[in-house]
Parts: sequence; C-alpha cells; structure tokens
Amino acid sequence: MRPTLAAFRGGFRAEVQQLRRSRLLLGLTIVQAVTFLVLVSIFGLTGSYVPTAVVDQDGGQLAHRWVTLMQAAHHTYGLRYMDAQHAQQALRRGDVAAVLTIPPGFSRSIAEHRMIRIPFRVDNVNADLTDDVERGIPSVAVNFARENRLPGIRVAPAEADLVRHEADFVPYLVVSALALDAFVVAGILAATSVAREFEARTVTNLKLSPIHPLVPLAGRLLATGAASTAAIAMTTLVVVAGYQVVPAHPLETAAALLLCVIIFSCIGVGVGALVRRTLPLTALIFGLALPLYIDSGSLEPARFDGNLIWGIAHTSPIYYAVGILQYAVHGLRVTPETVTLDFAALVGWALLAACGAWLGLRRAVVA
Amino acid sequence: MISHAAAAVRSVWTLAVHDVTLWRRSPSTIAAAIVPPLSMALLLYVLTLTIGRQPIALVVESHGRYASRMEGILRAETNMYAVVNTDRPGARRLLDSQQAAAMILIPRDFDHAVDRCPALKPAEAIHDETYRASGCPAAKVEVTLNNIDHDFADDIRRAVAESASQFDAPDVVTPVSEGELDMSELNPYRVNVMTYELRSTTVDYLHYSVIPCLVLLILSVGVMGTALLCARDVERGTARHLALAPVPPMALMAGRLLGGTLVSLVVIVPTLAIATWTGIIAPPAGHWPALGLVFLATAVCAAGLGAALGATLRGTRAVSMAASAICTYLFFLGGGFTTIQFLPTWLRRITTLVPTRYAIDGLRQSLFYPDLHGFGADMRVLLGTAAIAIIAGGATVRRAWSH
Repeated sequence: MRPTLAAFRGGFRAEVQQLRRSRLLLGLTIVQAVTFLVLVSIFGLTGSYVPTAVVDQDGGQLAHRWVTLMQAAHHTYGLRYMDAQHAQQALRRGDVAAVLTIPPGFSRSIAEHRMIRIPFRVDNVNADLTDDVERGIPSVAVNFARENRLPGIRVAPAEADLVRHEADFVPYLVVSALALDAFVVAGILAATSVAREFEARTVTNLKLSPIHPLVPLAGRLLATGAASTAAIAMTTLVVVAGYQVVPAHPLETAAALLLCVIIFSCIGVGVGALVRRTLPLTALIFGLALPLYIDSGSLEPARFDGNLIWGIAHTSPIYYAVGILQYAVHGLRVTPETVTLDFAALVGWALLAACGAWLGLRRAVVA
Repeated sequence: MISHAAAAVRSVWTLAVHDVTLWRRSPSTIAAAIVPPLSMALLLYVLTLTIGRQPIALVVESHGRYASRMEGILRAETNMYAVVNTDRPGARRLLDSQQAAAMILIPRDFDHAVDRCPALKPAEAIHDETYRASGCPAAKVEVTLNNIDHDFADDIRRAVAESASQFDAPDVVTPVSEGELDMSELNPYRVNVMTYELRSTTVDYLHYSVIPCLVLLILSVGVMGTALLCARDVERGTARHLALAPVPPMALMAGRLLGGTLVSLVVIVPTLAIATWTGIIAPPAGHWPALGLVFLATAVCAAGLGAALGATLRGTRAVSMAASAICTYLFFLGGGFTTIQFLPTWLRRITTLVPTRYAIDGLRQSLFYPDLHGFGADMRVLLGTAAIAIIAGGATVRRAWSH
C-alpha cells in the first residue's frame, strides 16, 4: 500500500512542479476560460437595447410619452435624441441601427384622433435583428393606445409570468458558461498531462515501474483537477464580482462545478490518451466546447428547441450541469427534469467518465 | 543587380515552399488550426436553428368568428411561433414539461368582449369620453409566459403585441413599399410606422453569421501556422542555422511571411471552391476580385501576427493556446459572432480598433450586396494593418533569430 501511495504522491508532486514551471500555459488556460465569458457576454449584448436615434420634430407631451414607452419596450431600443441630419449621418456610419422620426403635429393628431405616419429607417443588416427592431414598434403602439385610451381598440394582450424574477440575458448566459469553462480548463489540463506522457515517451518508464502505471498518472490528474478547481473558482469570482451575479444556492453551485471538473478531467484524460499529442488538444477541446455550449440549453431551455435538439442535449453532461447551475444561481428551472435528477445524472456521468478514462488509459498505457 | 534580386526571390520562394511543406506534414498543426473555425461554424449554424421561433401552446376556448380571426393571425406568424393547439390542461402540461415557452389563451368570452367594443369606422369619430367609460378593450389575448430570461421572453412579448395589434389594425407597421395602401381610417392606433430599410438586401441570419467563419479560418490557419513554424525554429535551434545562412535576412523573413500567407491560401482556396460549388456562397458578378483581396489581405495580416507571436512566446503549446485565444477575440470583436451595429456604443468604439472588423465587413459587402459601398475604406484599413503586421512580424522574427 505504501509504495502505491508514494507513487500517487510522486505523480501529484511531479504535476504540481510541471504546472509551476509552465505558468504561461496555466495563465493561457484561464484566459481561454474567461474568453468564454466575454464571448457569451458580447453575444448577449446583441439584440437588446439596439442603438436607435429619435428625431422629435413634434416636441409635445404625447411625443415624449411615445419615446418613453419605446424606451420601456421589452429592452428593445437604446434611444438617444438627435436632429435629423445627425441621425441620418449616424445611421450611415453605423453608429445607430435605426432612426425614428416623430413628425411635427404628432401630439395634435393623436389628441384629435387623426392618423399620423411615423418614418422609421432601419439598418437591415440581417433578417433576425431587423425583425426584432421592427417588432418592437407594435408593443409601443399597443401600450401608447392603452395609456391614452384611444378608441376603437378591441383586443389587448394580458400577460401572466411564471417566473417572479426574470433573469437578464447576459447573467443567464455567463452562468451556463461556467459549465463550459470547467470543460475547457479541466479538459485541457488533464488531456495535456496525459498526452505529455506519450509525447515525451515517459509512458514506457511507467510501464516498467513495479507499481501499476496508472497510479502515478492518477496522482497527476489529482493535481490538474486541483488546479482546474482553483481556476474555476477564480472564474466564478469574476462572475460574482464582475457581473454581480450572486448564487442563490452557493453549495449547489460549488457541488455542480466540482462535479463538472471531475467529469471533464476524465473526458480530458480520454482525449489525451486518444490524441497523444499536446499541440492540437487546446484547439480540439476549445472547438468541442462551442457547439456543446449551444446544444445544452445554455441560451434558453433546450426543450424549447424541439425534441431532436433536446434529445441530443441529453447526451452531454453540460445539459445537466446547466440545469443545476441555473437553479443554484438564479433559482430557475431550465430542464423538465428536477434538480435532484440532474444531480443524479451528473454523478452518473462522473462515474461513467471515470470508468471510461480508466479503461482508455489502461488500453493506451498498459496494453 | 538583377541576378542578386533573382537569387533573393528564389530564396524567398524556397523558404516559403519549405514552410508550406512542413505545415502539410504536421497533421496536429492542421487540426489545431482548422477545428476552432469548423466548430464555430457549427455553433453558429445550430444557433440559427435554435433562435427565433418559440413553441407556443394555443388554447382557443371561444368559437366565434373573432376568435377564429385571432387564431388565424397567431397561426400565420410562422416566423415567430411554432403553435400547438391544445386545451387548458394540455397547455399547462406543455408549460410544465417545457415543451411550450408560453400559453396563449383566447378565452371563452372573447367574441362577446370584442362585440362590446365598437370598431373604428371610416369617417366616424368615437367620442373619447364614451370610450373611456366603456371598459374597452375588453377582449384579452391571455399569455402565460415561462419568462426564464429577458431574451426569449421579450421575443414572445413583442410577437404577441404585434399579433394583438393586427387584430384591429394590420398597418401599425408597414414597409414603405406597401405604404400606398391607405387603411388609415380603420387604424385605431392612429399611428402608421413606415419602415424604410437602408440596404437593398436583407441577409438571412444563417448566411450573415456563418460566412464570416471563412475569415476565422484564414486567421486561425495563418496565425497558428506561422506562429508554430517560428516557435519550432526557436525550440529546435534551426533559427540559428537560418541566421547563419548566406541569404539576406530580409529574404528569410519575407520567405517566412510568404509561407504563412500561402498556408492560409492553401486552405481557403479549396474551401471557397466547395462553398461556391455547393451554393453556400454566391457573390454578385464582378465581386470575385474584391473577395480575393479580402482573403489575401487577411492572410497577410494573419502571417504577420503569427510571426510576431511565434517569435515572442516560447514553446509550441503556449503558442498554440495563445493563437487560439487571439483568433477567437479577433473574430468576435470583429463582428463574426455578433452584429456590430447592434452593440452598445462603448463596445462599437473598441471594435473600430480591431482589423478583423474590416475584413468581415468587406467580406459581407462583397458577398451579400450588389454594390461595394464602404469596401474601399475597409480595404485601406486592412491593407494598412497587413503592412504593419509584416513589418512588426518581420522585425520580431529577425530579433528572435539573431539571439
């Protein structure tokens, strides 16, 4: 037992030394993790608060109310007042994406129940975002009519929300991104540790040692796991301090992230044993992370995307991790399964990944 | 003099071809460069599939003509909803199991409530005070929303508001081309927002977002390829041999940068050929030279950046990771993952300093639009960046080799 423990400790110490020697590599791994947060944040900023110029040629009270309602229209417009000439220039330069001109006589026309036409120039860069910008207007019209009790309107929407505290999009995205960060950091560090053994041919030495060759490797993986946990803890702190997203259930958050580190370290081991080269690992894992992120309910519940995408999402541990994290941080249920079931699935994934890593390593190292 | 120049050109070419051969023989380098853009393209493709249409459980409890009309309006909005007709308990089940993002209910008294409120008739003014006392609008389209986050919840809110407004006025928002139809007398909202679209083409989101992955591909291959070649020279000590070779240093640096550029072109040319053949890209007639210029300038930028990176950092692993992170940042800050025009002002200002923005803008302009508006300005910035990248990359490589 003692030699086994010594080999395990030796592997752990060797990996710690290796990590201390390659601080740049460790730093870049954390940069990759933060890159994900930045990437999803920038994506989250698109599509809400579209920069829009308002040219108010009326200046009346009702025109002012129209603009106020536009500002409140489902996070659609980021408004700023401009004169006509500057607004056109800004639109052409791409400084604003739309220009709404409230013509002279607007307030009077509304007060007298006369029709008025409002020009709305839109930079139709792509269909999706153009639709969003144009679809915001009926909301404004509906609320404006309701507020001013305009006659002749017979139908109005009435909304009841299931969730009391609706999450902002960016905080929603960054919480999901934490699971992917665990994949990137733990996966890269574990895979690199294993692949290095093959690349440097030290795996032969391990085979010849009197201890089972996987014991020192397990020690190494414990070290990469610890480093990954520290890196994820730092990234979580960035989310808490930088994005002001405080977990509602910190223990569940920590448990989910720890399980993610275990699972993705094991998956990293498998990838490392398969590829056996350190060079393409980063790109491979980073590349895998991107589609996994989207297909795991990270943007919205995967169930909303139809049975096929929902079914595929179940094949990834990130689906369950996102389910737990969204509940633990925002108190949201984003999977039809309960949080307990998500935890059970994640533990199952951890066991499966550990067995897979063990078998993969055994095949690669011992056989 | 001419023979000297010819010898220098030969040296440049030999080194460039040597670099391309080395790169070709390194499948792991090729994989490291190609996997991220491929994954990004896949991600963006999946993204376009998942955004937009939301699953809605529609419950119609009233069976009158107004309810049918409202249902027709909701069902016609196929861009916004994927509608499933069901009853109240069924809708509740769909909401609970997250098979529907919202339930829209047209209640039993819908027709009666619509009838209670007088519709606007041409040339008839309804006295404001009469209306105020009437309790109209009395008919409700009831929405129960699983509002997990703002993004898709707002999409549904906007869509429902649009559908509700269409019941009384189909012309609250009309494209200017349809503005000839004057239905103003029947529009109780009293506003008709006339939309003028700035561009003649509205590009679908799939093409708009996936095509820029070509820029990421060039960037990734060029930066990583050149950086790894430089890093290997330093790691294996071959940089010293190159420094001692009887070839002018300028020729060596030019060879390395040309090699990096060729590596990008070796990947992009067949990719473009396949994309054109399969119809994924179809630039307007006469835009091929512009497209070629975008790719060439981006490839030169990538080679220069890669050379600087490879000569500065030590170790191929670190170079590979740094290159991957840099390319990702350049891509999404350049508008590859987002739409620059819709970003907040502070972020848009940052993107003006990112050269890939001009590459992606130029690429979209030459691929999607009939004219090349703004293309010249994009190319001036991109070519200027390419020149700076060549000088900076060359100088860094030279310093690394001479140490």
